[in-house]
Amino acid sequence: MTYVFDPDNWEWLVTGNNVRFILEGFAVNLEIAVIAMVLSLICGLALALGRLSRWTPLSVAAGAWVDVFRNLPLIFLLLYLALSIPGAWPDAYEDAIPSWFPEGLQSGRVLAAILGLVLYNSAVLAEIMRAGILSLDRGQSEAARALGMSYAQSMRLVVLPQGLRRMVPATVSQLITLNKDTTLVSIVAIQEVMRHGRIVTSANFFGGVQAPVLQVFLFVGALFIIVNLLLSRLSRRLEIHEQRRTAVGRVQRVRGLEEQAV
Amino acid sequence: MKTTRWALLLVLVLGLFAAACGDDEEEQPAGGGEPTAEAEQFPEDTTMGRIQAAGEIKIGVKYDVPPFGFKNPQNDQIEGFDVDLGRAIADKLGVEPNFIEAISDNRIPFLQDGTVDLVLSTMTINKERDQEIDFSEPYYIARGRILVPQDSDITGIDSLAGRKVCTALGSTYEETIKEQAPDADLRLVDSYSECLELVQNGAVDAVSTDDVILTGMIIQDDTLKLTEGEPLTTEPYGAGIKQGDRELKEFVDGVIEEYKSGGGWAEAYEKWVGQYTDEQQDPPTMTLQEALEATS
Amino acid sequence: MGDLISVLTDNLDEWLAGFWVTLRIVAIAFAIAMVVGTLVAALRIAPNKVLQRLGGAYVETFRNVPLLVLLFISFAGLRRAGFEVGPWEAGIASLGLYTAAYVAEALRSGVFSVSKGQIEAALSLGYTYRHALRRVVFPQAFRTVISPLGSLIIAMIKNSAIIGVSLLALDDLLKTARVISSRGFQTDEAFFWAAVGYLTLTGLATVTIRFLEKRYAIHR
Repeated sequence: MTYVFDPDNWEWLVTGNNVRFILEGFAVNLEIAVIAMVLSLICGLALALGRLSRWTPLSVAAGAWVDVFRNLPLIFLLLYLALSIPGAWPDAYEDAIPSWFPEGLQSGRVLAAILGLVLYNSAVLAEIMRAGILSLDRGQSEAARALGMSYAQSMRLVVLPQGLRRMVPATVSQLITLNKDTTLVSIVAIQEVMRHGRIVTSANFFGGVQAPVLQVFLFVGALFIIVNLLLSRLSRRLEIHEQRRTAVGRVQRVRGLEEQAV
Repeated sequence: MKTTRWALLLVLVLGLFAAACGDDEEEQPAGGGEPTAEAEQFPEDTTMGRIQAAGEIKIGVKYDVPPFGFKNPQNDQIEGFDVDLGRAIADKLGVEPNFIEAISDNRIPFLQDGTVDLVLSTMTINKERDQEIDFSEPYYIARGRILVPQDSDITGIDSLAGRKVCTALGSTYEETIKEQAPDADLRLVDSYSECLELVQNGAVDAVSTDDVILTGMIIQDDTLKLTEGEPLTTEPYGAGIKQGDRELKEFVDGVIEEYKSGGGWAEAYEKWVGQYTDEQQDPPTMTLQEALEATS
Repeated sequence: MGDLISVLTDNLDEWLAGFWVTLRIVAIAFAIAMVVGTLVAALRIAPNKVLQRLGGAYVETFRNVPLLVLLFISFAGLRRAGFEVGPWEAGIASLGLYTAAYVAEALRSGVFSVSKGQIEAALSLGYTYRHALRRVVFPQAFRTVISPLGSLIIAMIKNSAIIGVSLLALDDLLKTARVISSRGFQTDEAFFWAAVGYLTLTGLATVTIRFLEKRYAIHR
């Protein structure tokens, strides 16, 4: 037990470049998470609308797509894409990416990582959004139609805004999970926090202080806990803000979806 | 006040983010600039000419295999034996080297699609790979060996029966161990740094791969050692060149020959390997033909 | 097409072994998650503030830490500190403790869904608080949580794949696919069968959950 708290084992925090090196890796995780989240929200919305469509072939196809990608392990998708993306795509990615983008994102391998993350998360988000929309009282859409709105208008002006707002907590929950999932991209050789942490533990070759694995990864774990806790707080604030805003009693939380974000 | 504290934490996080991002501007210069005057100018339709026009040569190296190719976290520089050879080649062309990470899985695809011009990443010459790319003459002869903790009772390939041996998924050692020590319990992981971790904390009894990589492990932890006895395999390293590019191959072969005879090789060897292993080695004299025959 | 089938049949015993490993990991880890999760949920609803905080700390920690980091800490970290932890123990314990945080939350919301009147009625009938929890609250709470727990099992099936690719290197289904694909360069075929395996597992779980829901669940 003393091993955990022995100050010698924590000396690496204050010597050399170690902490900054780990934080640089962590920044890569956060960057990937943000990009993947934005793309997943867009694709997820498209998929959700596809599922809700009244044109059966589309809703069946979208439903099948969502079910498959929701039930496959994310690491499976990442590994498969990393191995099988045609070489031309990462090249096109590397050419397209502007040079002011952070260095960690310049490599073509990041394309596989982001693609995998988006395929998976868009499917999960599609389910969350669909549940959010369906949880809305039918009266809303009926009233909208009675007022003469077309299906598209009723969706756009009445159903979607309210339904999507209900899924904010579940969505932030998914963002937290996405944040954690970015550690998996280390398996496809992207230089992020897990890799950087591992390099720091072999630091004595590079003239640094011995950094034990336990301490380094406790530090990495703490980084994630801090950021994710902040995100949860943010989510709670948004909920409270929403409740105050609508003032129509409690905003119904879409139940049972938080557990999907594991 | 709760709001201020929360806001402060958010700012802290964003600050870390920005700080980590901001430092990326001070990178190694990504090429550009005219080739230096002493370098021989090559005709524009050759690969060398194209590289000179671009001002940089893209070389695929390992970022995590000390002492041949690795990224030093203390200064963010790429260093190692392969890297020094890469610099020599770049100097001969009068351009800047741009070292790109090439892991075992993608180094051949990177050559084929032009992501890199050259591969110097502890790549063993063998017939299989020769069908997809071209090799230079061998520039280093590594040998397959076994690494164990100092106090281990394992003495060589014969005493591996029933013991846990670690090597990387997809490496040639998977086959080698299965052939030479079929009763060993093979544990496959993603990268050699994981093998190092496993042998250090006792989860496996031995690691098997190129002596070069094992040396890198010993440098990091001197409670490990190589077993005595015959090497398992011979691993001639060659530079990877896009298939069919005879001019580049001739050029690189020339630089390697000069490197070996002119003392650059000996210097690099002493700096990266010799001072740690106390073993002497001379520059390899094996030819590419011999290398292809020696390895299956 | 022939290639696809042969990748399966040539390596059938490996595939089955990998499938079985994944199954075992999920089953044992789920058992751990249920036990620990119930304990933590009990802490969270205990009348004692300190116990509540303890439970809260557990949930916040294990919900916000990535599983991969947990695996590193529990396997590499602990071994360096001198504890003889094996990859199986570390992997299953990590997955179990990680999921337990989610189980605790699911149970807690299930418990809260049991109306206060139930507890008061039980107490007025002479049940002790502990008895009331055990006989009245938890059984009803469990029925409400069948669906969320079901999603957690599916999540565990997916998360189990992480253990195989980490340095714990257990030979689970995904690992088997990677080994087979790296041998013969048949990536698409090998990964196809791994996908079939995972979808089978999650499909079975989904069907079982739906069945149980129809029979037992309380709909609100």
